[in-house]
Amino acid sequence: MIRQVSIFIENHEGRLNNILKILADNQINIRSLNIADATDFGIVRLILQETERGMEVLKKNEIITSITPVLAAEISDDPGGLSTLVDALTQAKINIVYAYSFLPKNTDNAIIIIRVDDENQNKAIETLENVQGVNLLDRETLLLK
Amino acid sequence: MYWNKSYECMPREKLQELQLERLKRMVNRIYHDVPFYRNKFQEKGLMPEDVKSLEDLQKLPFTTKVDLRDNYPYGLFTVPLEQIVRIHASSGTTGKPTVVGYTRNDISMWSELMARCLVAAGAGPHSVIQNAYGYGLFTGGLGVHYGAERLGASIIPISGGNTAKQIMIMQDFGTTALTCTPSYAIYLADALKELGIDPETLKIKVGIFGAEPWSENIRKEIEKKLKIKAYDIYGLSEIMGPGVAIECECQDGLHVWEDHFIPEIIDPVTLKVLPYGEQGELVITTITKEGIPILRYRTRDITTIKPEPCACGRTHLKISRLQGRTDDMLIIRGVNVFPTQIESVLLEIGEVEPHYQLVVRRDGSLDTLEIKVELSEGLFSDRISNLEKLEKRIRDRIQSTIGVSSKVSLVEPKSLPRSEGKSQRVVDLRKI
Repeated sequence: MIRQVSIFIENHEGRLNNILKILADNQINIRSLNIADATDFGIVRLILQETERGMEVLKKNEIITSITPVLAAEISDDPGGLSTLVDALTQAKINIVYAYSFLPKNTDNAIIIIRVDDENQNKAIETLENVQGVNLLDRETLLLK
Repeated sequence: MYWNKSYECMPREKLQELQLERLKRMVNRIYHDVPFYRNKFQEKGLMPEDVKSLEDLQKLPFTTKVDLRDNYPYGLFTVPLEQIVRIHASSGTTGKPTVVGYTRNDISMWSELMARCLVAAGAGPHSVIQNAYGYGLFTGGLGVHYGAERLGASIIPISGGNTAKQIMIMQDFGTTALTCTPSYAIYLADALKELGIDPETLKIKVGIFGAEPWSENIRKEIEKKLKIKAYDIYGLSEIMGPGVAIECECQDGLHVWEDHFIPEIIDPVTLKVLPYGEQGELVITTITKEGIPILRYRTRDITTIKPEPCACGRTHLKISRLQGRTDDMLIIRGVNVFPTQIESVLLEIGEVEPHYQLVVRRDGSLDTLEIKVELSEGLFSDRISNLEKLEKRIRDRIQSTIGVSSKVSLVEPKSLPRSEGKSQRVVDLRKI
């Protein structure tokens, strides 16, 4: 299970920068970033190289954060690679709440971060473990990629 | 514990006899010594002798803040300045301040009532009271100060502001009681938390908070954050200053010191006196004050009189905690809205920290209400849909309880202005 840091921000200029600066000042590397926006606010989702330290410095700066469990799956960076994965989840009737790409430095494969409903987490893991061409990653492995 | 048991627990019949005797004397004095009151009586065809019972008070004219301003600065004083030993003034939001003067006896009476309040809230001669109400023209600082000295407590006249110093003194001087506005108490509690100071390591046991309306949930928040008992105190400079009414250990309404003040509740529109238990504007008559006695002062504060006997043994009537001010009242698309009503809704939803701001705009000919609410950690979800549901839940509840539609915006913690004094919770941008 991967620990994603989710952050509440108001939807106006400077707010994202504020968070990025806090992380930069503390030498915390962001491995992937996803932003979801509503009208007045947004949620920034980050995979950090050092999750605990990242949470700590953000909290110290009064930023509202939470840890969300997500899955990371390595797939081949070829046409149909992602489709294989989504297909398997669809057949298992597991809804994807959101998904985004992770930027690997040490592999030619693609890595996708997937959030499913909490109650479907285990079922999703079981399903994906049995799909050929999909390699579920644990936390340590992901951060080495 | 009482400070003055024979007065605080006086049987009601005897208390009312005392009130009537004092009211008659007061009416006589203002009629003869203050042209303003004499004119008002004459307009109504009334003479001081017409006051034969406490009910007759209802026939007498009201006094308003405008009257005080029109007679600025000393027009309503009943004694020559040489008998006035202190002058206070309340900040005027428009133009001149409202000026009040105290004779030596007035200061003594105020000290006595304030001492009663401190004892009712659990303070005593051994207390170390950190008085973070402002000292100066505002009555808060000196009002508490003189009461604490009368009581024989040790008072620290630190006055308002300078949070770092407040915290240092609280730690080093062994403060056992804190007096300030409720919003400043929360501010201090948050500052302690930021500094990593556990309130359990402090000696503070009670807080006496007033000068602005606050809710039961804010009380709970203060009590939890500071690990103290929090008591509500009421007062206003036009009547005396802090100490007009105080909560006892029952924390269920504030006793008004009826041997010195007569409270009434009126409908702010019809000006008719309302029966006990009904909500309306608080009107107070001072019956012992010498410097500037005030007849039926319209406080603009919204509350109810709670006539039921109190378990603490005090016989003086209680008022419920203030529900708002008639002049804070917003009229939005024809609906009367008090900020405190919105606060109650937010607190009922419960998970939201009570930091909010109301922004009223006029869009064409339509008033719009935006409620900015600071999001708390417990409520945060990493799914947009959950946060939008929360906004909708607040919006629906406001609509069903107050009857106005609004736009709810979740904002980041600490993004709304925190004042060190009275909170600024309403921003009215309508240009009418």
